[in-house]
Amino acid sequence: MPELPELNPVIHGKLRLALLSLLMGVEAAEFTWLREKTGATDGNLGAQLMKLEEAGYVSVEKNFVMRKPQTLYRITDAGRAALAQYVAALKELLGSAI
Amino acid sequence: MQDETNKEALAERLELIENMIAQGRRSTTRWAWTCVLWGVAFYVAIAWSTGLFGGPIWGRHYMAWPITMTVTWLVNWALARRMRRSAKAPMTTVSRAIISIWVAMGISMFALLFPLGMSGRASQQVALAVVSTMLATANAASGILLKWPAQFACAVVWWLAAAASLFGSDAQSMIAFMVAIFLCQIVFGIYAMILESREQRRHGAANA
Repeated sequence: MPELPELNPVIHGKLRLALLSLLMGVEAAEFTWLREKTGATDGNLGAQLMKLEEAGYVSVEKNFVMRKPQTLYRITDAGRAALAQYVAALKELLGSAI
Repeated sequence: MQDETNKEALAERLELIENMIAQGRRSTTRWAWTCVLWGVAFYVAIAWSTGLFGGPIWGRHYMAWPITMTVTWLVNWALARRMRRSAKAPMTTVSRAIISIWVAMGISMFALLFPLGMSGRASQQVALAVVSTMLATANAASGILLKWPAQFACAVVWWLAAAASLFGSDAQSMIAFMVAIFLCQIVFGIYAMILESREQRRHGAANA
């Protein structure tokens, strides 16, 4: 019997998966935009983004725009690869029906 | 039963990925107003240059195009910057590609038409054909990128206007140009604004 692939636990969390997927489609995104799209609270969003940052899947850039702080998040190459692997594993687990 | 539940959860994850990638790529920046703005600017420049306006400043017909185009470019830049900041919309690869097409086209137009106008080495027909062809190229490229037949149709109208201006008289070439402005800047711009509002309402409701 062939061995089933394991799903990456860092990405598997729903909010982290949503964040990584959102970042796949854009060059960089502000914290406020990610909050608006996911509907998450500031605390939860910050914590999940930190986990993704620690795993090396997103990079953070802090700037000041017109004296206001701006935090930009970008998906890294490792993040793209991890998400691609995760999708491949998901499809394999779900079988050829998808 | 347990197996079915697991499969459902996994399929839900896959759907979440697809939805989120699509949401990220969907631009929320409103840009259709720029179409209408430039259409109105073209009409103002034409009216000014043909002596439709009176008065000491409006009497200087040679200043019509340089001043109208420069002021419109500044207004466009300031409003777009302000809207982009307030919307906090992230840049996508497609939006960067489209912006670069229009910025490059705008710079080319300024770089070519200012010296052309000052040197007086081109007739009105040739100048209008050049402007129409440039607008057709930018519309065609954007239409292909966005997979939007309506914008590609605008490119066809501009190409036809360019060809018509080379075969017609001064008056006929101007009429062809004005018709193209009406269809591709004003009508298309308003149509795009309606689509943007509908999209915004639909997704605003979906997010709420």
